[in-house]
Amino acid sequence: MPVQGGEEGPPVVVGFDTATPDTAACAWRGGEVLEEVQLGLNERGRPRHAAGLLAAVERCADAAGGWGSVDLVAVGLGPGSFTGLRVGIATAKGLTVSAGIAARGVSTLDALGAGIAAMGTPGERLAVLDGYRGEVFVALYGADGATLWEPAVMRPEALAERLAQVSAPPSVAGSGAIRFRHELEGAGGIRIPDDADPVHRVAARHICAPAAAGKGSGSLEPIYLRPPDAERWRERDSFQRAD
Amino acid sequence: MARLILAIETSCDDTCAAVLDGGRILANVISSQAAAHAGFGGVVPEVAARHHLELAAPVVEAALGEAGVTLDEVEAVAVTAGPGLIGALLVGVSTAKAIAAARRLPLIPVDHLQGHVAANFLEPEPLEPPFLCLVASGGHTLLAAVRDHSGHEILGQTLDDAAGEAFDKSARLLGLGYPGGPLIQKEAEKGDPEAFEMPVAMQRDPGLDFSFSGLKTALVYRCRELGPEGVEERRADLAASFQKAVVDQLVAKLKRGLKQGRWEAVALGGGVAANGPLREAVARVCEREGVRLKLVPISLCTDNAAMIGSAARWSETVAYPDYLGFDAFATGERMAA
Ligand SMILES: [Zn+2]
Repeated sequence: MPVQGGEEGPPVVVGFDTATPDTAACAWRGGEVLEEVQLGLNERGRPRHAAGLLAAVERCADAAGGWGSVDLVAVGLGPGSFTGLRVGIATAKGLTVSAGIAARGVSTLDALGAGIAAMGTPGERLAVLDGYRGEVFVALYGADGATLWEPAVMRPEALAERLAQVSAPPSVAGSGAIRFRHELEGAGGIRIPDDADPVHRVAARHICAPAAAGKGSGSLEPIYLRPPDAERWRERDSFQRAD
Repeated sequence: MARLILAIETSCDDTCAAVLDGGRILANVISSQAAAHAGFGGVVPEVAARHHLELAAPVVEAALGEAGVTLDEVEAVAVTAGPGLIGALLVGVSTAKAIAAARRLPLIPVDHLQGHVAANFLEPEPLEPPFLCLVASGGHTLLAAVRDHSGHEILGQTLDDAAGEAFDKSARLLGLGYPGGPLIQKEAEKGDPEAFEMPVAMQRDPGLDFSFSGLKTALVYRCRELGPEGVEERRADLAASFQKAVVDQLVAKLKRGLKQGRWEAVALGGGVAANGPLREAVARVCEREGVRLKLVPISLCTDNAAMIGSAARWSETVAYPDYLGFDAFATGERMAA
């Protein structure tokens, strides 16, 4: 069910995403972007999720007139960096508890796909995020926005093979498309925009819009697509030893 | 000093939230993940972080409900900033920051180890500094001088494994499961602690540091000598002998610490402080030395958020919006000033 706005008009949404190396946040009112923040890596080449997200979100809430004016919190559920998406979802849950506002989660691949659509390219859209460990997180959307391939994790070679069987080449973008440009380009006539093209980055407005329309999930369940690596308990040597 | 504090702790495998009114606990909710990690024989960082994300908000709401307060009454939000598993810590820190920010409340980042110390400041019968504090758990083993409420000085700490970690590894070796502490203690009740000679490390070392890795290695050798059937047969004796060696080392260092200062009180903290033989041995030492012993309930020895709220009362409060960029710190790092 779409979110109802307050007495003053259309619904106000504060949305954000930290599943990719970017830290993205947006204040959104009935299709109008009131404030948008997109932070890249810090000076040490690390994402700014933990240190940058909440300040960006607060800036957006202020632009919307404060938390009292916000009708909905929207958050990207991934897939993406496990730690990154947990920072985003924990922040969303904390805001929900504190401000008493409802929250909705949106697939980060859906948001990336919506961003490709917003560039006005016709045909199908393929959202490809870096899945780490040499893999990609991927989903395919129809020209009408319908999900044709559910979010999945796979090797870029496997993706290229699947693409070779698609009748018309889709528009492709995302961090995974940049990283595996070599593997993906050429498969089924795929051409990937330049690395610097903003189409590759997830904009938080595309988290806000579907959430306002009642799409996504109300449970804020992260989309991991990969089980925890049980072998990781061996890495416990870094665990809790005080210096 | 804020009176009503909401505290959150997610540094390892327990998701915890508490509400404190001064030194009085109004609610102390602990959601243990032990069952989720049992199959791995230890804490899996990624599994822990996933559970924290699921549990943190409900645990906070449960604590507020149990305390019978609303966030309108809460004056500050305290959270464990480290040390610990970074992915686990980040869930608690992100949750706490968001709760505080949306209400413009101050945030109080707390050092986890100071939390264990500050468990002793809680009512009823708070222990006033100065005292000597032995903290032993799955993540840390240290002897600390507590001279005031706001901090502690580490006099000695483990050079390798933590005491609780040694219990976990040995329990796995003996096929006893996880978590190791209570399982070894139970098995040891049926065994002879003198059956096997185990090295009590650091005995000749004049300092106050601990070491448990040699003990674990010794147990590996004993098990190899005995073979699977022998281990099966002598499991209780092995557990008892191992447990005795851990307790002996902890007690020896505590005694040495007592000799080096003029301490009038001793406190015990951390999950290993739940160990019966350790509690008894420490009680004997304190009686002999004429020192007061403070034993907090076991629910305040293991990781919990009430101890974090307690430490927060004497920790630096960060006003909104200065904490928006605050980050958790992992093991091996110090809390940023
Ligand atoms: Zn602890």
